[in-house]
Amino acid sequence: MKNKLMHLSNETMNVGFVKKVEALSGSSVRRCFQCGKCSAGCPMSAFMEHPPNRIVRLLQLGQGQRVLAGRSIWYCASCETCTTRCPNKVDLAAIMDALRKLSWDADGPSKESYVQLANRLFIENIRTYGRQYELRLGAAFNMKSGQFLKDLMLGPKLISKGKLKMFHSKNKNIGEIEAIFKRIEEMRKKGEAL
Amino acid sequence: MTPGKKRLNYSYYPGCSLHASGREYDISTRALFKALNVGLKEVPDWFCCGATPAHNVDELLSLSLCAKNLSLAEQVEGDLAVACAACFSRLKTTQHHLKEDEERRKQVETAIAGPAALDKPVKHILEILAREFGLSKLEESVKKPLLGLKVASYYGCLLTRPPEVPELDDCEDPSIMEDILRALGAEPVQWSHRMECCGANFTLSRPGVVLKLSNAILESARRAGADCIMVACPLCHGNLDIRQKEIKDAYGAPDSTLFGNIFGSELQQGASSDQRDLPVFYITQLAALAMGVPSGNLGFESVITDPKPLLREKQLL
Ligand code: SF4
Ligand code: SF4
Repeated sequence: MKNKLMHLSNETMNVGFVKKVEALSGSSVRRCFQCGKCSAGCPMSAFMEHPPNRIVRLLQLGQGQRVLAGRSIWYCASCETCTTRCPNKVDLAAIMDALRKLSWDADGPSKESYVQLANRLFIENIRTYGRQYELRLGAAFNMKSGQFLKDLMLGPKLISKGKLKMFHSKNKNIGEIEAIFKRIEEMRKKGEAL
Repeated sequence: MTPGKKRLNYSYYPGCSLHASGREYDISTRALFKALNVGLKEVPDWFCCGATPAHNVDELLSLSLCAKNLSLAEQVEGDLAVACAACFSRLKTTQHHLKEDEERRKQVETAIAGPAALDKPVKHILEILAREFGLSKLEESVKKPLLGLKVASYYGCLLTRPPEVPELDDCEDPSIMEDILRALGAEPVQWSHRMECCGANFTLSRPGVVLKLSNAILESARRAGADCIMVACPLCHGNLDIRQKEIKDAYGAPDSTLFGNIFGSELQQGASSDQRDLPVFYITQLAALAMGVPSGNLGFESVITDPKPLLREKQLL
C-alpha cells in the first residue's frame, strides 16, 4: 500500500472516516499547513513510516486506510509534544487516539498487534481487578504474544525487590467498574456515543 | 492558604504503580509529607485511572474512569495530591476536556451514573512542595542539605504538556524541579534531555524502543556530569532504573551519535564512555533524605541501580 501511487477521487477519498476522526478527537485536520513542527519534535517519528505531519496530510486527502494500515499510530507514545508545539492548534495526540480507537473497533488491519495486545490486557485488568496487576499483565503478555521467555530474568529480580506483587486483591467496588464498562457498551449500541 | 497558619491537608491518589513497581515513590511520599507535617489521606477504593492504554483505545472509557476517581476523591477533604505524572495528567485532562465539552461530559456522567467532580483541585506533589508548602519553608526545613550532589532533573512528557492542561510549569523550559533541588542544597545540572520521552508505555510491547530512548537520556545526563537522575513519574523511573543494565548491554560502546560525529573529537572526549551507573531517585526520596528521614524508610532497597554507594560517597547516608 505504501508504494502504490495515490489517486485522489471520490472513490479513494474516504471523507466519512476523516469526519469520524475529527468528531472523536475534537480537532480539525484542515487547519494543518504542513510546517512539520510536530514531526520535528516527535520522539517516535524515527520508528514511524508516516511521521505525524504526514498522518495529518493523509487525513486531509481522505486516506484513512493508508494510515490504519501502517504502524505509525501504534508507535505514538502519547507524549503530547506535537499538540504542544503545533502553531495551528491541531491536537495531533488526540487524533492519534481517535485513529487507534477506530483501528481497535475494526480490529484492525493494524500489524502492530503487540501494542494492541498490551493495551487490551491492561484494560482487561481494570475490568477484572479495578487496578493493575503488573505480574499478571507481564505474564499474560508473554503467553499471548508467544514470547515465553521475554524479560524472564527481570521477573525474579523485581519480585525479590518487592516491585511485583505475587498476589492481588480485588478492589472492593469492582461492581462499579463493571457497571461503567457496561453502560459505555450500552451507549454505543444505542448510538449515543462514538 | 497561608502556610504556617493552617496545617495543609490533602486527599491522595497513589495510583497502581505506586502500590506495585513504584512502591518506593509511595513510601517516600508518605515519609516526606509526614516529615513536613502535611496531611495526606488516601482516597478509599480508588480505581486504576487507565493511564495511557485506556485513552489509546477508548477516550470515553478513559474519561469515565478518571471521572469516577474524581468523584471518589470528593469524599475526602482537601485538594487531591497526585505523585504519578501519568495519573496526574489523566485526571487533569479529564477535568479540562469535560469542562470544555458539554456533550462529552453528559456521556461520561451517564457512564458513571453521577456527576463528575470537575472542580476538585488536582495537584502534583511538585507544585504542593514548591508553591503551597513553599520553597523558602522547604529550605528552612532542611536538616541534611544534599551538598555536592549533582542531579539531572528529568521532567519527561506529561508533567507540563500540553500547556493548557497541567498548568504546572512552562511546557518547554520548566524549572520547578531544579528550584526544589536548590532548596534542598543539591546542585541541578544543565542538560539536554530533561524533557525527551523515555518510551513510557512501550516497556511491555516494544522494549527496544525504551532501550534506545532511555539510553539517550542516560548518556545526556552522564555527559552533563550528573551523579544521578531525579524523576517524578514511576514509568520514567522504571525505564531508567530497571533497564539500566540491559541498556548498557545493548549500547555499551562509547557514544558515537550524529552529535558526536558532527562536532568531532572534542565532544567525543566529553561523551562518557565510562558507562557509570546512574541511580534514579524519586523527588520525594531526595527531599525526605534532606529532611532527615532515615534512609531505611525510603524504599532504597527496592531500587535496582543501587544508590547507596553514591549517597555514602556524598556523606548522605
Ligand atoms: S505542527 Fe501542526 S501545522 Fe505543523 S505540520 Fe504538524 S499538525 Fe500541521
Ligand atoms: S504524541 Fe505521539 S505523535 Fe505526538 S509527538 Fe508524541 S509520540 Fe509523536
